Amino acid sequence: MDVTLTVNGEEKSVSVPPETTLLRLLRDDLNLTGAKIGCDVGDCGACTVIMDGIAVNSCLVLAGQAGGRSVETIEGLADLDAYHPLQKNFEDLGSLQCGFCGPGMILTAKQLLDDNPNPSKEEIQDALAGNLCRCTGYTKIVEAVADAAAEMRGDKQAA
Amino acid sequence: MKPFDFVKPDDQEAAISALAAHSPNVRILAGGTDYLVELKHVSQSPGTVVDVSQIAELKGIEETEDGLRIGAGVTHSAIMADPLIEKHVPAMIHAAHTIGAVQTRNLGTLGGNLVTCVPSMDSGPTLVALDAEVTVAGPDGSRRIPLTEFFVGPRKTILAPHELLIDVIIPKRNLGKPTNFYKFGLRKGQALALVNAASSLWVEDGKFKDVRISLGAVSPVVVRAPKAEAVLEGKPVSDDLISEAGKIAVTECNPIDDFRASLDYRRDLIDVLTRRTLQAAVEIAAQE
Repeated sequence: MDVTLTVNGEEKSVSVPPETTLLRLLRDDLNLTGAKIGCDVGDCGACTVIMDGIAVNSCLVLAGQAGGRSVETIEGLADLDAYHPLQKNFEDLGSLQCGFCGPGMILTAKQLLDDNPNPSKEEIQDALAGNLCRCTGYTKIVEAVADAAAEMRGDKQAA
Repeated sequence: MKPFDFVKPDDQEAAISALAAHSPNVRILAGGTDYLVELKHVSQSPGTVVDVSQIAELKGIEETEDGLRIGAGVTHSAIMADPLIEKHVPAMIHAAHTIGAVQTRNLGTLGGNLVTCVPSMDSGPTLVALDAEVTVAGPDGSRRIPLTEFFVGPRKTILAPHELLIDVIIPKRNLGKPTNFYKFGLRKGQALALVNAASSLWVEDGKFKDVRISLGAVSPVVVRAPKAEAVLEGKPVSDDLISEAGKIAVTECNPIDDFRASLDYRRDLIDVLTRRTLQAAVEIAAQE
């Protein structure tokens, strides 16, 4: 089936079988491998992308469902010259170790900050409950999200 | 996934036509948080998958003459953010918040949670405790039935392959009724309920009125505990009676014994959750 969707601001058309997930479409057809194949059943959050403004597990979205919609992946968040404040604060604090959960973690956090620019620690933890990290223990991830939020509000100078 | 045909109808009527045209080898796809997991594991193609996730008619939340109408396609996140639900049935917001994590709630729908009909569904108890009804539509028209009659067994409802769940209606008399939902899972995020429960009641002249106790993950489908309700009905509010209701509720359920929780543990949870939800509902009533 033919699917046309907007990915990181650009319209893309692909031809895929109906049983293709958005995750596979992004990785295999558009070569955007930032979204990871983790559990592939909606538990781990490594495949999180933002679709029409909300964080979703792209392993649980069929290509046909993504047709006509706007998808943002980690590749669209920033380029090497200008990191998003979330990316920068994750880097500054050493919030990631293996990094596999990073793209999903950062995109879920981005949706949180888009909706709520000043989240409490508990709200950050609640928002990230669907993004599993098996390296870090989450402390530095939660701190980085709080720091990025402060920076985006103008309450904290960029390091 | 096994190959299948994918259809994305524009509206409710087209969806029902598509279901009828492909019945019985047809499945409805809404949020997909459960069904896509199933699709990845089944060895047989479902035939045709009808995607109803973007049908605008299924996404409304509105007050009608009958009460509060919530479209079957409303996501759990949309429930959490809706001012009418916050005003009239705040327990639904709490129940929605206990489902999965934000990604699941952003995709998963109220209707999908009910149609999937797992015994531990977190949408069920609150709605049953509020005497919710559902509208089911097929090629020959629609009918409205109590939610309790919609549930048939684990992963089984009265929906025929060519029928679609349209909406859930909370009757007007129960809007604003003091209600509490409590989910007991092993973690806060991404956990199935070992037992979940909801109680609703009015307190009139210090006495219990219209008590409803509903429990999930304790029987093949979400159930009420009518004997426990009856022991409270019309009696003066007291902790002793609430304790008695908890013990009676245990006898009205038929929980399973499995790797998630033993039979004895689930029985204890039924007692505790029945009491806690009743107490919380009484406290809400006292504040009003």
